[in-house]
Amino acid sequence: MNGPYMTVAWLTWRQLFARRRAWLAAATVVLPFILTFFYRLATEDREGDRLIFMLGMNREIVIGVLLPLTAVIFGTTAFGGEVDDGTMIYLLVRPLPRWGVALTKYLVAVLVTAAIITAAIMLAWLALRNDELPGAVPRSFITASVVGSLVYCALFSYVGLVTRKGLVLGLLYIIFFENILARGVPGVKWLSVREFGVSVAQWAGGGVVKFTDASVPMTTVWVAGSIILVGALAMTIRTMMRYELVERL
Amino acid sequence: MTAPAVSPQPSAIRLSNVSRWYGNIVAVNDVSFTLAPGVTGLLGPNGAGKTTILHMMAGLLRPSAGTVLIDDAPAAGNPLVYRKVGLIPERESVHDYLSGWEFVRACARLHALPDADAAAHRAIDQVDMAAPQHRRISTYSKGMKQRIKVAGALVHDPAVLLLDEPFNGMDPRQRLHMLDVLRQLGQQGRVIVISSHILEELNDLATNILVMVSGRLAASGHFREIRRLMTDRPHTFHIKSSDDRRLAAALLADQSVFSVELGGDGIVIRTGERGTLTRNIARAARDTKIRLTEIRPTDESLESVFAYLVAK
Repeated sequence: MNGPYMTVAWLTWRQLFARRRAWLAAATVVLPFILTFFYRLATEDREGDRLIFMLGMNREIVIGVLLPLTAVIFGTTAFGGEVDDGTMIYLLVRPLPRWGVALTKYLVAVLVTAAIITAAIMLAWLALRNDELPGAVPRSFITASVVGSLVYCALFSYVGLVTRKGLVLGLLYIIFFENILARGVPGVKWLSVREFGVSVAQWAGGGVVKFTDASVPMTTVWVAGSIILVGALAMTIRTMMRYELVERL
Repeated sequence: MTAPAVSPQPSAIRLSNVSRWYGNIVAVNDVSFTLAPGVTGLLGPNGAGKTTILHMMAGLLRPSAGTVLIDDAPAAGNPLVYRKVGLIPERESVHDYLSGWEFVRACARLHALPDADAAAHRAIDQVDMAAPQHRRISTYSKGMKQRIKVAGALVHDPAVLLLDEPFNGMDPRQRLHMLDVLRQLGQQGRVIVISSHILEELNDLATNILVMVSGRLAASGHFREIRRLMTDRPHTFHIKSSDDRRLAAALLADQSVFSVELGGDGIVIRTGERGTLTRNIARAARDTKIRLTEIRPTDESLESVFAYLVAK
């Protein structure tokens, strides 16, 4: 990435962590650690419990809640923040192709989301690790969070660019689609990024991470995930290419 | 003030039969003009289409019809045009979580300038913002924000500079300084377009004036010509006195008066010589021993001034 794109990335980074969003990121990182801390305080240390707790927490809390929440906040802000603040114009009046600006902003949102979730997973693992919890456990969930970040941020970047209610729409999507429909309606799982994450974690876990109900085959994860990712990114780039600064008459 | 090392190559902007509509609202209607180096004022009331025209020149809006060319290249969908164009938007805010220095240096880096830091220093000096440059933009006054926006637009030394209501929020000293900066930039051979709804703001700055009214180009010409049209137009006054009928008769004899209308609520007078009439009203009242209770111009709104120009 050369100079101007590094500056687009830097501006996006500053935008993402403005307005107390740095505190949200910090809270996301420490929440699994706090849960782990209470788990250690409240339970006896029986064989196998730590692995069960860590798998359950990473699946339900980290992949199920924190990853989509972080992605919706940073994904929608990467573009929506510029639109809302009226600062998009300063990126558009530069000798840079707009698709390059769009891709750079998307990548920054992915990196920030994946980094926050990685830190959350690692911190909790470090607090609880022993022989029952090999490095394969955090590695598998970090892989799942990277895949999830790529897909979620593509979706939420687009939503943030096309509507000022991106954050609200994203939250509704997470609550109703990912956490109600995808859990209750079997066919919908095949389009759920959350379920993709669970399957990826199991796939990357090398036999240590196992879920009896991880039902989305990896072929479906790669194909459906790629279609959602490429489709959302293409829509984002198309919207940026056609973006106009309309006067409020 | 630091002058740029190299003056830009002369540029030109050409609009040919340009229209732009939003749904069924026509913002700009069949406008054509060509701008050469120098300062041009784009004058008109709010909602006249000035910002739409500027945004089309800056390639941020595609014309619904017609063409906008900058040095014979289309302005829209052409990122390379921004190597020679700088835009200072009116409404859009600056990244208020950055310092002024960070903002201007980021602008320089987005242009891939070989020495971005030196270019940022030069632009900040040009707008007299060296002292507060390291403060967060969120702590700046409106005038300071405006000047840091100008610095961000000047940083790549553009041949074309488009400014949307640049004097908004500036105090008189800042305004004089900005006038000085823009005058110098115009003398360096740049095409500078300044939109404003106040003619006097463009005094001694813009030689060429384009007047926009309701999306149309209503008038164009030298600043003095447009000013003469605006000040020599007929003016209407509403007058109330202790004896309206006698005062109306006295004023009817005045050569500067076009017409006198006597109504139940006072006298309405039309004149072509505003200054002469205001002196003569006082004299006529004194001579006839009539007490004046109200003299009120009724058509001083900007819209009425521009409506007159359209009619011309």
